[in-house]
Amino acid sequence: MVIEKREKNNVVIFDIEGEIRRSDITDVTLHQLVKDELELGRKQILLNFEKVDFIDSFGVGEILASYISTHNLGGKLKLARISKKLFLIFQVTMLTKVLDIFDEEDLALRSFLKE
Amino acid sequence: MAERRLPKFLAAAFKIKPGEARLALLLFAYFFLITAPYNIIKSLRDASYLEDIGPDFLPFAYASVIVVGLAVSLQARLQTRLSRRALLLGTLAVSVMANLVFWGLLRADHHWKGWVFLYWMWANVLVVALTTQFWILVNDLFNPREAKRLIGFFGSGGILGGVAGGLLTGFAAGWLKDAHDLLLVSAVLLVAAFLVVRRLVAGRRPAAGEDAAVGDEPASPHAAPAKVGFWDCARSVRQSRYLLLIAAVVLTTGIVSTLIDWQSKKLIAQASESAAWNLTSFFGFANSAFLVLAFLLQLVLTSRFIERFGIRIGLMIYPLALLLLSLGAVLMQGFAAETLTAGTAGLGVAIGLKGSDKALSYSISQSARELLYIPVVPELKYRAKIFIDMFLNRFSKALGGLVLILVFAFTGLSLTKAAAASLTPITEISPAQIAAGIVAMAFIALWIGFNVLLGRAYVREVRLQVAKKWERPDVIVSERMDVETAKLIVDALESRSQSPTLFALHLYDLARRKKLTPEVKSLLLPPPVELPPGAVPAVLESPGADDAALSPEMDQEIREVLALPSYQKLMGEYAEGVLEGRGGGDTAKMELAKAIGLMDRGSPLAGRLEEFLEDASPEVFQFAAQSAGRLKDRAFVPALVRRLADPLSRGDARAALEKYGESIVGTLSDFLADRSEGPGVRGPVASLLAGIGTAEAAEVLLDELSRGAGDLGAEIIDSLDRIRSRNPAIDFPEDSVKARLGDALDALGPVRAAADVLPVFRLLGLVYDHEDVFRAYQSLLKGTRDSVGYAVELLDQTLDPDLKSRLFPKLESLAPRGAAPESRT
Repeated sequence: MVIEKREKNNVVIFDIEGEIRRSDITDVTLHQLVKDELELGRKQILLNFEKVDFIDSFGVGEILASYISTHNLGGKLKLARISKKLFLIFQVTMLTKVLDIFDEEDLALRSFLKE
Repeated sequence: MAERRLPKFLAAAFKIKPGEARLALLLFAYFFLITAPYNIIKSLRDASYLEDIGPDFLPFAYASVIVVGLAVSLQARLQTRLSRRALLLGTLAVSVMANLVFWGLLRADHHWKGWVFLYWMWANVLVVALTTQFWILVNDLFNPREAKRLIGFFGSGGILGGVAGGLLTGFAAGWLKDAHDLLLVSAVLLVAAFLVVRRLVAGRRPAAGEDAAVGDEPASPHAAPAKVGFWDCARSVRQSRYLLLIAAVVLTTGIVSTLIDWQSKKLIAQASESAAWNLTSFFGFANSAFLVLAFLLQLVLTSRFIERFGIRIGLMIYPLALLLLSLGAVLMQGFAAETLTAGTAGLGVAIGLKGSDKALSYSISQSARELLYIPVVPELKYRAKIFIDMFLNRFSKALGGLVLILVFAFTGLSLTKAAAASLTPITEISPAQIAAGIVAMAFIALWIGFNVLLGRAYVREVRLQVAKKWERPDVIVSERMDVETAKLIVDALESRSQSPTLFALHLYDLARRKKLTPEVKSLLLPPPVELPPGAVPAVLESPGADDAALSPEMDQEIREVLALPSYQKLMGEYAEGVLEGRGGGDTAKMELAKAIGLMDRGSPLAGRLEEFLEDASPEVFQFAAQSAGRLKDRAFVPALVRRLADPLSRGDARAALEKYGESIVGTLSDFLADRSEGPGVRGPVASLLAGIGTAEAAEVLLDELSRGAGDLGAEIIDSLDRIRSRNPAIDFPEDSVKARLGDALDALGPVRAAADVLPVFRLLGLVYDHEDVFRAYQSLLKGTRDSVGYAVELLDQTLDPDLKSRLFPKLESLAPRGAAPESRT
């Protein structure tokens, strides 16, 4: 898994590439990266899954942990361009009720601006 | 014709119902008027043969009855060509004429001995033809229950006729110069029988849908083949194991009867030789005495005995009595020959054997044997009776004659010497006589064996006559239909426009159950414009393909996500908001209630399900109950049981509780026993216990029934029946069930419809063969005379005498009264 960070309109965007799975744990996890940004006071975070091939429950756990951390600090964490399979998992687990999920990055960024 | 009324005491004694009197009286008269002349003819036959030819030549007379086969063959042919009316009347007319011919031949002073032999054969043909036709008519007119009830009355007519004929012979033979003049009297009686039969069959034509049993049409117009001869009749018997067993019984009975007849006639001839009796007069009186005994048995015992003990025991009485008497006869003949009283003892043996043979043969045995034909379909019955009663019965006598000839050969009795010598005194008992007694006992043992087999076969045949297999509709639905999946698909369809999340949850649920087939996918795929983009779950985007979305890996992944602590924390907060009414409304509650069912029982969110079970919305409760049924946490049971009282939620609560299975029988038992809970809860709890269907659940229900059950008696009995239907292997405590049966019978008022006795039948089904009991009930529901008759007959073979005596009087009222027996023809 490779995670690139960029910033746009005061939103920290993490472009995630490859597979997010328990067996590929790296020194720095997605949750850790999000927490680092939160510690720096950046509370608007967008996770871009366009290049993610696979995500397992560990990966979902990372997303949820990141969401909770952001939410607890009064921030916003949103998701963009998730695969259909991940969307189904989120639907079945009702996470679509909690998470903000967008088809396109621009739509997600505009939603930050509205808030 | 106006209905005749019998005196009340007669109608009561013979259990004749209103509407049956005319037919019963005519049949009584018919039987009387054919047996009276027969007894005259027979007494003359026996005396003439013993005097003119001699007892040691009797085996040839017995063997000669093979000629009856020709008469049977002729009768079978006539039966297919003539109407029953023509056949009955024609036979009687021919009998009258034959009487007159033999009167002319035998009254000559020095008549040819061959006429005596021919007269013997004709007498045999006459009795077979007349009695068989009488019983075929009875079988045509009555169902088994009616026949069993009325057979005592008809049989009495026959026995009284025989007694009258015998007495007439006994007295008149002494007065008349030539006893053969009695043949004129028998001719007159047969003319009277002719007139009675004319009344019986006058103007009768089959009603629509009924066999043309009696009347102007040939018998069985639908099924009767163009030609049914003797061999057709024989083939019909050969093809049925049941009829073969009847044939075997008739064959052995005939052989035994012949052996006993010879033993007794030999002794009588020996006694007569010493005392120079008028043999015709002796046979007349003896036959009357035997028949009086038979009549008393028939009057007092037959119907009651058969009704109480059934046909199977009825069949056994005759051979068992003869076995004991034959044993006694052999021993007595062996020892008494040396004593001074040997002559008296020998005559006593003769009269005892013949008297028992006659009395039992004409009463219990005859009645039981005729009833055996009742479960046979009419077409087959006619053929079988022709072969068995008219041919085989006679042939068995011939076979008895051949057995006797063999016994003579083995014991060294020379017929040449016998013809030349006068009879030995009665004190000299020959080895042939003792050997005949021993051989008779061997055949009686064989006869008893056939009777055992026949009794079992009878029950099977009656069972075939009643309704087909009974199955409870609710049990069929629960066993053959996947109701849960059907409901899930309907829920999924409804949720399409309600909530994409709920829709996805339903689809996932279907996929987990492996029910998301291409057909179901096609059904669930919404029209393109109906839902907003993104609302169609990926699982449906390629209908017909088992894509990766349904793989076991994905299922596993979803389960793991649901178990994540972060997930539980996040969704717990969400659930709290929903339950506090901070958004989402009932739809959000439904989604959560459904989703919780996908989680582990121990997860924090699962613990909140109870709050959803208390929700006032039936829709929310529906999904919460489904989840409770999956998680099976006992903490949810009280909330589910209480919801049974709500008609809108009862089905969901019940379905959920059924999933718990036997683990909650104890809890349900507490609710059932708690009279403070209303019938709205206790009734469904009883039904629920039936759904669980274990022996423990049955015990709880029976216990509650024994405590009185409050106002739930019918529900609890229905529940017990469901358990029995689904689990035939469960043993219900017989004493307890029979005690409840007694209560139910006591509480049963006048029975107007079969449904009134349904609770009784359900209880019966717990301790007797469930299928038999409900076949019988189905036949009662059908409500025709025959169906009710067959139903009671089947129960008669199944239930204990005490229960029968309490139940049957109530069932008798279910037979339609509008259709009197006469109208059946």
